[in-house]
Amino acid sequence: MFRELQFPKHQSYLRDWSNLEDWTNLKKMNLNMDLGMGLSNLGGPKEYDVIIVGGGPGGASAAIYTARADLRTLVIDKGLTAGALGITAKISNYPGVPGPIAGADLVEIMRRQAESFGAEFLTDKVVGVDLSSHPKMVMAGTDTFHAKAIILATGSMGRTNTVKGEAELLGRGVSYCATCDGAFFRDKPVAVIGNNDEAIEEALFLTKFASRIHLLVPTPAFKARQVLTDEITHHPNVTIQMGVRLKEIVGEDQVEGVRIQPRGGEETVLPVNGAFVYLQGGQPITDYLMGQVETTEAGCLSVDAEMQTSVPGLYAIGDLLCSHIKQAVVAAADGVIAAVAVDKFIHGRNKIQTDWK
Amino acid sequence: MALLQEADRKVLKEKFAELKNPVKMVVFTQEMECQYCKETRQLAEEVAELSDMITLEVYDFVKHQEIAEEYNVDKIPATIIMTGGDDPKDYGIRFYGIPSGYEFSSIIEDIMMVAGGETGLGAEMKAWAAALDKPVHLQVFVTPTCPYCPRAVLMGHQLAMESDMITADMVEAIEFPHLSNKYAVQGVPRTVINETIHMEGAAPEPMLLAKLKQAA
Repeated sequence: MFRELQFPKHQSYLRDWSNLEDWTNLKKMNLNMDLGMGLSNLGGPKEYDVIIVGGGPGGASAAIYTARADLRTLVIDKGLTAGALGITAKISNYPGVPGPIAGADLVEIMRRQAESFGAEFLTDKVVGVDLSSHPKMVMAGTDTFHAKAIILATGSMGRTNTVKGEAELLGRGVSYCATCDGAFFRDKPVAVIGNNDEAIEEALFLTKFASRIHLLVPTPAFKARQVLTDEITHHPNVTIQMGVRLKEIVGEDQVEGVRIQPRGGEETVLPVNGAFVYLQGGQPITDYLMGQVETTEAGCLSVDAEMQTSVPGLYAIGDLLCSHIKQAVVAAADGVIAAVAVDKFIHGRNKIQTDWK
Repeated sequence: MALLQEADRKVLKEKFAELKNPVKMVVFTQEMECQYCKETRQLAEEVAELSDMITLEVYDFVKHQEIAEEYNVDKIPATIIMTGGDDPKDYGIRFYGIPSGYEFSSIIEDIMMVAGGETGLGAEMKAWAAALDKPVHLQVFVTPTCPYCPRAVLMGHQLAMESDMITADMVEAIEFPHLSNKYAVQGVPRTVINETIHMEGAAPEPMLLAKLKQAA
């Protein structure tokens, strides 16, 4: 049964564990049923012509064109509300879609369109890529994939700066992965800092271990799906503070607390042993590239007129490029340019099939 | 009850059909089996059953103390993946604690790597490993629910296979709390190199190489 259990959706595997009493049970469950977590790629990495990392307007538009050009296309995306368009409440200026329409709905329409041409979508987080291998390799949380070409469309909701103490205490109580590190905080208080799906899912996971979870939300409201905000709001072990700025992570050799400032309030230090940080900002998200592609000083990727980076077969679009106007339609157009270039790269074609010939 | 399900067996059998050279698994447990010793042994038995190219030797950590010393195994459950057949070779690939969850794939990857006889490391890393003149010991701390961890484990094991000077342990952090304490492990993967140098996360080869150069 491992195929059913190979965690097709990020949130679902967190849910599957929610009834677990303790770590022992968790491990037993891994043993009895979830060996498939790591087994899914044993048949060899799955092969695609093109993998698109990020399923916002840029990634989904690229997928429409690559799939329609008969390229085997996989889009890996963290979730509908993971990106800038996905969390936009109303959009009325997307050409051809009068609106107002929720950003997530607009993304969904684009994805359906891509799927209708054969593109596959996977809800997962890309944890790394290997650009030196042929074909190129994309490692997601649940599986590994090969592709002849990769289009990066991860947007620019990455963090700009770390706070004081964060880098120094990484692995000493500062973590970005609750599923990895939650067990180190059994019966201890922890802070989770963030406002999106990922932050809430990770906070819910931590309820299996931590004595108390302080969910510190940087904005006046969540930017996450209702089903998650409902669940976290009613959890007895979770204390939620809205509109709180994280100023510092405090500790000598390990995390002892977080210095926070509520809107218009005084700074205080909240004593915790763990700090799980899921903050977003306006920085291009390129951490999964692990330095294999050069970025500009501002952290952006540089591309040529066909959206190709300095690595042949690697393309970048949308908000990853600083030269651009940060609009959904611009990202979508970038995606199309990259898709045509990918088709050329793989097939040596000079032009894509058009509807108006 | 079998740990591996029928569908898993089928996938593994197909995978193991590619094995060109014999692989030996060595497992250390004890009579009063420790936490997860029983499951570790059973898992190894079920994996070994799937191919004629894989043999399994199970030893008692207490009764076969001299063998444990020979293999330099100091805690259990311990699993070793090495070349089998008439000309066996132990590369220093170790798993301490149960290789379950995401780490199950590390065992399988190691079997394939050892049978294939090629680590797949980059040229720069290979050159560094070839020039090594003193021992390097890597301990990669993991949890079974960590998707980033197998990358770090595999790279450690690739290095162990590449050079006789290098040994690399996967250490399941929750099963060995005294080691987690000793090396201040509160996040995984955490790679400890020669006791002193440590690295957080599953870093790409060039980053690990920089750390290795600091240590040796």
